[in-house]
Amino acid sequence: MRSEMEPLLLAWSYFRRRKFQLCADLCTQMLEKSPYDQEPDPELPVSQAAWILKARALTEMVYVDEIDVDQEGIAEMMLDENAIAQVPRPGTSLKLPGTNQTGGPSPAIRPITQAGRPITGFLRPGTQSGRPGTMEQAIRTPRTAYTARPITSSSGRFVRLGTASMLTSPDGPFINLSRLNLTKYAQKPKLAKALFEYIFHHENDVKTIHLGDVALHLGIDIMVLRNRNHIESKALDLAALSTEHSQYKDWWWKVQIGKCYYRLGMYREAEKQFKSALKQQEMVDTFLYLAKVYISLDQPVTALNLFKQGLDKFPGEVTLLCGIARIYEEMNNISSAAEYYREVLKQDNTHVEAIACIGSNHFYSDQPEIALRFYRRLLQMGVYNCQLFNNLGLCCFYAQQYDMTLTSFERALALAENEEEAADIWYNLGHVAVGIGDMNLAHQCFRLTLVNNNHHAEAYNNLAVLEMRKGHVEQARALLQTASSLAPHMYEPHFNFATVSDKIGDLQRSYVAAQKSEAAFPDHVDTQHLIKQLKQHFAML
Amino acid sequence: MAEVKSMFREVLPKQGQLSVEDITTMVLCKPKLLPLKSLTLEKLEKMQQAAQDTIRQQEMAEKEQQQITH
Repeated sequence: MRSEMEPLLLAWSYFRRRKFQLCADLCTQMLEKSPYDQEPDPELPVSQAAWILKARALTEMVYVDEIDVDQEGIAEMMLDENAIAQVPRPGTSLKLPGTNQTGGPSPAIRPITQAGRPITGFLRPGTQSGRPGTMEQAIRTPRTAYTARPITSSSGRFVRLGTASMLTSPDGPFINLSRLNLTKYAQKPKLAKALFEYIFHHENDVKTIHLGDVALHLGIDIMVLRNRNHIESKALDLAALSTEHSQYKDWWWKVQIGKCYYRLGMYREAEKQFKSALKQQEMVDTFLYLAKVYISLDQPVTALNLFKQGLDKFPGEVTLLCGIARIYEEMNNISSAAEYYREVLKQDNTHVEAIACIGSNHFYSDQPEIALRFYRRLLQMGVYNCQLFNNLGLCCFYAQQYDMTLTSFERALALAENEEEAADIWYNLGHVAVGIGDMNLAHQCFRLTLVNNNHHAEAYNNLAVLEMRKGHVEQARALLQTASSLAPHMYEPHFNFATVSDKIGDLQRSYVAAQKSEAAFPDHVDTQHLIKQLKQHFAML
Repeated sequence: MAEVKSMFREVLPKQGQLSVEDITTMVLCKPKLLPLKSLTLEKLEKMQQAAQDTIRQQEMAEKEQQQITH
């Protein structure tokens, strides 16, 4: 017979090796043996240890760094009353990125997102927090920026996670929250911290489900928020009691209270807690949380100042530098962003986000050779996915290293995980085909893009241009109309439609389209010419 | 170098008009670099995928159960 290992030690070992499911299962078995698993009995330290360990394992399974999470639902975006100024001055708001005065690439070279920002080199959960102007825009998935956040949004993601974690535990939840005597736990600081993290990260998800499903069907996020409040108020209660127990001297609990307030959308209260925590103990995390609050309040300048204060205390801290760079990027100040990303790389030369952003910046400022070096660096570091190979392929092509181009794209296609990714790669391959003058191949590539992703507005536009070269005016017009209705924020389809209409003598439509193009990209010279020409025509009539 | 310079001289017409026809051409949308995904995002997506799979399995199991009982 095999000698058995002490189960708690084994569970602890599983936990350290990050085999959380095994750890949780083992703890469950141990807790089944001891009679009282709902509340750990102080007389039985082993079962108490198993209880904490299980709570921590379950938390770790769904743990996502709270600083990175920025899940904004439609409701929060559209019914946002937290922004201080409704009509902010330029350069003080994330809502109006403003035109690019700093000499970054224009939309003629660098594609833009629906929110009017140049596309970024790196996707985080909070990327594209630029708020859409209308409900219509909010509901339509912005395909072009290929956002991190599908528009069903926060509720969707958390609800589904919650459903799963509930389904996987057939005996019901591990801790029955409504039966917890929080005051008792608050007196045991170590237990309370584990319990809090469990409620905050794990249980939050589980409970959202009931109302969450209904809300999803109705398409309303607010109900989810309400329901979530219920759970978070539980977490909040515990945090409040604990901080009371520690006589308001524990900064950790203050930060946790702040996190709860933040999730509840009570930003001013969150700010107070974080500030008070900072007074007690200055921590990088707290700076980051506080900055997140300011970004939610649409006060990027305050957030920037805060980051700079943080940098005084923690010189060269990468996360703070990176935070500054992100804000500059969101405010459409690409050159400052690049400067700070460089600063990040000086401190940490394996920072993927910084490398990717600088790389894409170089690519769009007409330096594909340098971009290629940055992406090659990422490859050396072990990043291995379809996005990277796609970027490498593009850089190779524009840096005239043709031998590597097609093999990179082949690999990218092989690594593509879903149809949207494959569509984007075919789209870029289409550009390579256009570049070498193989119009048939280009045509096929753009067709394949549309097969993979029927909402790919850029591919529609480019197909239209190819059709026009063949002289198929009607088809081109139809494709352009599709493109412009799919992505009204892009100027290309509008401008092309205006050009085509102008050629066939449909001046009225041409003028309307030209004006849309001007709205999307005011500095476009050709559009201005066209409008001037059309105005002369109209004046002559 | 001096010889080469004497051989090739730029041609600048001294008389007559130089005209360039400005044709508006259609514009292609630009190639798109794909943004890399952060670890957090990848983890979120993975968890979401796993969650959806579990739900789907659960639903399939329920359907089978129903078919058996009918």
